[in-house]
Amino acid sequence: MLRRKRWLFAILAILPTLAIFAWLRMYPIFETLRLSLHKWDILSRNKPFIGLANFQELMTDRLFHEALLNTSIIAFGVLIITIPTAMVLAALIHYRTRSRLSGFYETAIFLPHVVSLVPAAMAWKWIFDARLGPLNAVLTFFGIEPQAWLFDPTLSVISVIVLCSWQALGYAVLIYLVGFKSLPVSLYEAAKLDGASGPQSFWFLSIPMLKPITLYVSVVTLVSGFNVYAQAFVLASDAQGAPGRQVRVLVLDMLENSFRNYRVGYAASEAVVLLLIVLVLTLIQFSLLRERGRA
Amino acid sequence: MTLQSTSLRRLPSNALRMALLGSAMGIAALAAPAISAQEIRVWSGYPELAPFYEHVAEGMKADYPDLTVRVEAIALREHEKRLALGLTSGEAAEVIELGTSTATRYLENELFNAAPEEVSAFVQDPANFNDFFRDSASFGGTVYGLPLFRGQSALYYNTDMFEAAGLTEPPTDMAQYTEYAEALTQRDANGAPTVSGWSLRLSGGGQGIAEKFWINMFQYGENLVEQTADGKWRADFANEQGRAALKQYLENVHTLKTVTVEMPADAEAFEREQTAMFIRESWVIGDIAAKAPELNYATATLPRGSIVAPVSLWISGEGEQAEAAWAFAMAANEPENLLWLLDNVGWLPNRSGLDYSAILEAKPALAAFVDYPDTYEFFSLPNIGPVEEILTRAAARLTEAFANPALAADDAAIDGVLVAMQDEINGLLQREGLLAE
Repeated sequence: MLRRKRWLFAILAILPTLAIFAWLRMYPIFETLRLSLHKWDILSRNKPFIGLANFQELMTDRLFHEALLNTSIIAFGVLIITIPTAMVLAALIHYRTRSRLSGFYETAIFLPHVVSLVPAAMAWKWIFDARLGPLNAVLTFFGIEPQAWLFDPTLSVISVIVLCSWQALGYAVLIYLVGFKSLPVSLYEAAKLDGASGPQSFWFLSIPMLKPITLYVSVVTLVSGFNVYAQAFVLASDAQGAPGRQVRVLVLDMLENSFRNYRVGYAASEAVVLLLIVLVLTLIQFSLLRERGRA
Repeated sequence: MTLQSTSLRRLPSNALRMALLGSAMGIAALAAPAISAQEIRVWSGYPELAPFYEHVAEGMKADYPDLTVRVEAIALREHEKRLALGLTSGEAAEVIELGTSTATRYLENELFNAAPEEVSAFVQDPANFNDFFRDSASFGGTVYGLPLFRGQSALYYNTDMFEAAGLTEPPTDMAQYTEYAEALTQRDANGAPTVSGWSLRLSGGGQGIAEKFWINMFQYGENLVEQTADGKWRADFANEQGRAALKQYLENVHTLKTVTVEMPADAEAFEREQTAMFIRESWVIGDIAAKAPELNYATATLPRGSIVAPVSLWISGEGEQAEAAWAFAMAANEPENLLWLLDNVGWLPNRSGLDYSAILEAKPALAAFVDYPDTYEFFSLPNIGPVEEILTRAAARLTEAFANPALAADDAAIDGVLVAMQDEINGLLQREGLLAE
């Protein structure tokens, strides 16, 4: 009887949170799934069911393919840059915790994560500026040709990767720092007695033991990488003229289809594809990192 | 006992009534100013128009002392997004400024109010608006909006730079545009352009790139989409004229290098003397007056004709709010206000019979927009559902083409780009059941 009461209490206690979660998270997902099977222009009362026609059209839509490719390159690019860099930076900060400047290092690296995205992107827009940007000034100083960072098809994607990585790094370093602090000191002492150098300890002890942290950070980084939008939008936006090459990403394509082309059902089918991609990649990451962890 | 219990029963009831009365009076007292002070909102997609709407509101003070007009003017693309969400959720402003090509979707779904009788009569009076502008504010023969202003293009050129290059007259055909651009481009010691001869729209997102391309292609006698006799539409520009238009872009960017994709462009560049000439609407005159009053420039009509993008005021809402909104739209169309609009902002009023002479004398650059040859032709964006998608997808293909130097000297490759673009547009028209046979 007491057990049943406890169970009931637990259910009642969690129910409001579950209800909010269902309303704010689950309902929109199911509604998006439903919309993806309909043709709807957001204005009309009619929403005819069209089955998988939206998904069929996606297969031949070159702008969607371009958006998918760009988004994937950006997401994996950010992941490849962020994970190793964050791990090394966290290690350096962790082993310098007694330094008077350790607080400064942590703040300096974490700051980009809390800075508002639009002003940060505007600052990077200036850095990447082909004519007035400091990046090209530095390149010219070293005798390298200035580059059209925001206009060249390849360089504009790289610019978005750099901006996203800069923002993602702070959070990743913070999580890795927590991970480093929880590692057992005795193992490092034993390794030191066995003659292991610092880099060897990092490679053979820290990296394997930080696998759960790496799993978490990589999932979060990859998911946010696939949701990239504002960075690409701001880098290519301007009131007039020559703002920059629009790097087409999935979220941008969805917004354009929803509110400019009035094709909400079609945009919903893009959202479903994005959801599936993120789900599959997350499952792959879980299986890869967990299995290796067990081995 | 009975009495007592009765009075005891009444006490809460009386107290409740008193409390209710007190509350009602309190609410009434609080609500009184809200009832007498009416507020309407104006949503605009052109931030530079905010002072105009405020000027109109100021002029209404005498007749509507309690009316507050809140002007919310934001960038056009964001304005279009808020409309899509606001009108469908019933949260939109009462007065909405929108171009006809986009408004058609909302009219099809009955999201704008039909005009009251007196407004309808005003719009249908030929003394106020010609047929084109009347139709731009109507749907199925019924008037829904009040025509306000239009976007119309002309050439802006820097007269100091023209003089330095030995040019005395503006270009009169498209071949001359390229010749002039070459003569006007200023370069550094390495030959890299520092001031573009002719600023072209080469980058960015959205439909602007395709619109500007259409304007240039129109000078060669071709359209991005055209209506056929059966009222349907088709794209048919993969021909000599289309090739000439695209080739001109590619020649200027890659062969002659009179302009590069990363150079400052548009009105801002013109005002800073970073480009010698460019094609734009009349609002630039007001912008130059505000930001670069010392700039020496002139305007000229385009070789064949111009785009006309009519913008009207549409009304949503009900009752007194809607009535006040219609009154505001009518006030905006008063000659005094329309002349203020042209003089201070630079957008061209749609209303007929206005006397521009005083403004033209003070701002001769406006002449290219109002005094054009009799043979001057106009085109406008089609009022069809997929127009935004057509332009956006065409813009994506054009951006790709502009960035490809290999196309510049390869007519067959240019034709390939045009055929692909044309097929894509026709595919969109077919999907919507709008493709001509």
